[in-house]
Amino acid sequence: MADDTADETATDDILSQPVTRQEVMAAFLANDIRDGEILQVGAAMPVGEVAVRLAHFSHGPNMELIFIGSRMNVAHLDTLPTPEFGWDRRTVRWAESYWDTGHRFDRVKDWGNRVFFIGGVQVDPHGNTNLIGVGDDHRRLRFRGPGSVGTSTLSTLVGRYYIVLNSHSARTFVPRCDFVSAFGWGEGHPDARRRLGLPGGGPRYCVTPLCVMDFTEDTKRLRLRSLHPGVSVDEVVANTGFELVIPPGEVPTTPVPDPEQLRILRTRADERGALRR
Amino acid sequence: MSHPQRRERIVSEAEAASWVTDGMTIAIGEPAPMAVIRQLVRRGVKDLTVVGSGIALDLLIAAGCVRKTIAYYVGGGAGGAVAPSFRRAAEAGEIEVWECEEGIVAAGLRAAAQGLPFLPWRGGLGTSLPDVNPDLKLMTDPIRGETLIAVPAIGVDVAFLHAAHADAYGNVQHVGGPGWLDLFLYRASDRCAVQVEKILPNEDIRANPGATTIAGVDGVIRAPWGAHPFYSRGYSVQDRAFTRLYVDAATTAAQHGDRGPLDAFLRTYCIEPETHADYLERVGVKQLIALHEY
Repeated sequence: MADDTADETATDDILSQPVTRQEVMAAFLANDIRDGEILQVGAAMPVGEVAVRLAHFSHGPNMELIFIGSRMNVAHLDTLPTPEFGWDRRTVRWAESYWDTGHRFDRVKDWGNRVFFIGGVQVDPHGNTNLIGVGDDHRRLRFRGPGSVGTSTLSTLVGRYYIVLNSHSARTFVPRCDFVSAFGWGEGHPDARRRLGLPGGGPRYCVTPLCVMDFTEDTKRLRLRSLHPGVSVDEVVANTGFELVIPPGEVPTTPVPDPEQLRILRTRADERGALRR
Repeated sequence: MSHPQRRERIVSEAEAASWVTDGMTIAIGEPAPMAVIRQLVRRGVKDLTVVGSGIALDLLIAAGCVRKTIAYYVGGGAGGAVAPSFRRAAEAGEIEVWECEEGIVAAGLRAAAQGLPFLPWRGGLGTSLPDVNPDLKLMTDPIRGETLIAVPAIGVDVAFLHAAHADAYGNVQHVGGPGWLDLFLYRASDRCAVQVEKILPNEDIRANPGATTIAGVDGVIRAPWGAHPFYSRGYSVQDRAFTRLYVDAATTAAQHGDRGPLDAFLRTYCIEPETHADYLERVGVKQLIALHEY
């Protein structure tokens, strides 16, 4: 009994801490994920990882999770322990099957039901992203990026994806990417993807520590959709290197998790507190 | 009754590394076959084209073994977003970066495995990849008339992998599934050697042939902890402190031009230890046992 009381006190402590912006990002994304979808999360994407777990534990018992080479459904567990670090392969113990490159790329028929998260060194107004690098000459880049990972293919095929960034700055949000590694909406034509023969639905939202953006219907241009609590339009504009579409009227506030969602988030989806650091 | 004996394929890490000569294309799997990689550094092999990723590839670049990379992700591991030696060498134009992506590399390896000159791939249409990598050609599909990317075959002279188990005859059984591209690398290679945590009796392989992931590799290397400092599925987790040693030394070299710590690292852990066992002695039993997966 004493232990239970201590646990409850510890949980109360955790739940009383202020909601962080990364948690707001994760909750927003979780609310947009539907039961039955297949979620693939890459490395170095803690917000995406927590969002997926949060959706799975709160309303997605039929989701399939693809984490670092394992495909799993852990709706029956209290938690899916967060890996201690990006490539902590111990998450493999919950695998129902192993997902090497062949498993992931040799059957794309169900990719319309698949959802992914993409980061970027640069993002342009039409949601094209760059993980290649920064500079004029590809042979002598000013900044060499990590490489495209699987984003060129995933962005081509998945039903939808989210652009998720760990920071929001004019260095990242540029009028034009020096290189494009994942095609969003090209030059901004609503037909751009169909014309190229890309079956996937493209980027749906861009989520940063400041705000959520979507795309205008006619020009597929990034548009401010909601501001995280405490963030102003001016702050977003000042940190975006191109003209962001600002809808008329008051910009809504991104919802913060309600107490029940916060409980699941902090005690089950992010028990290590990766998003509270 | 006397009959011809089946040939065992067990080789030392040094012997497997000796299959590589300057200018070859090699592939390194995941988890990284570090016992062989350290031997390649030790031998001072040059001008390699490396199909690989991550810090293991970065180490080969740091040691001056690499002329060209075929890598879709060279992340920083314990350090920053980009591996330090890769970043520096690429920015300085010292290595050629064959710009690519996971699906594209898989298509090229599959083409090589199937003896085809190329295979088409859709991922990458609309991106800069065909612009910055002239080997990727836009093509018109003769069946439906769509535009696709023709990915040339990526042939591999020697592929090195690390897995949990194999028998002496080259039957490999992974624990926790094969790495990302490992099956593709094996199939695209002329020769393949696999480091294993444990060599199993042939009877154990026969008891569960469904678990055999690769049949008939050319060399089996006995290398417990052979992926150190990286993880080995079912055996050990990543040694982050040790990885940090390398990343810090390589970062000092890349960002401040001081190769002292990096050269010391390479000397201590790759060049001086003659064998994998010598390397493990330097790392120490305590540190290795602490990495046992549980």
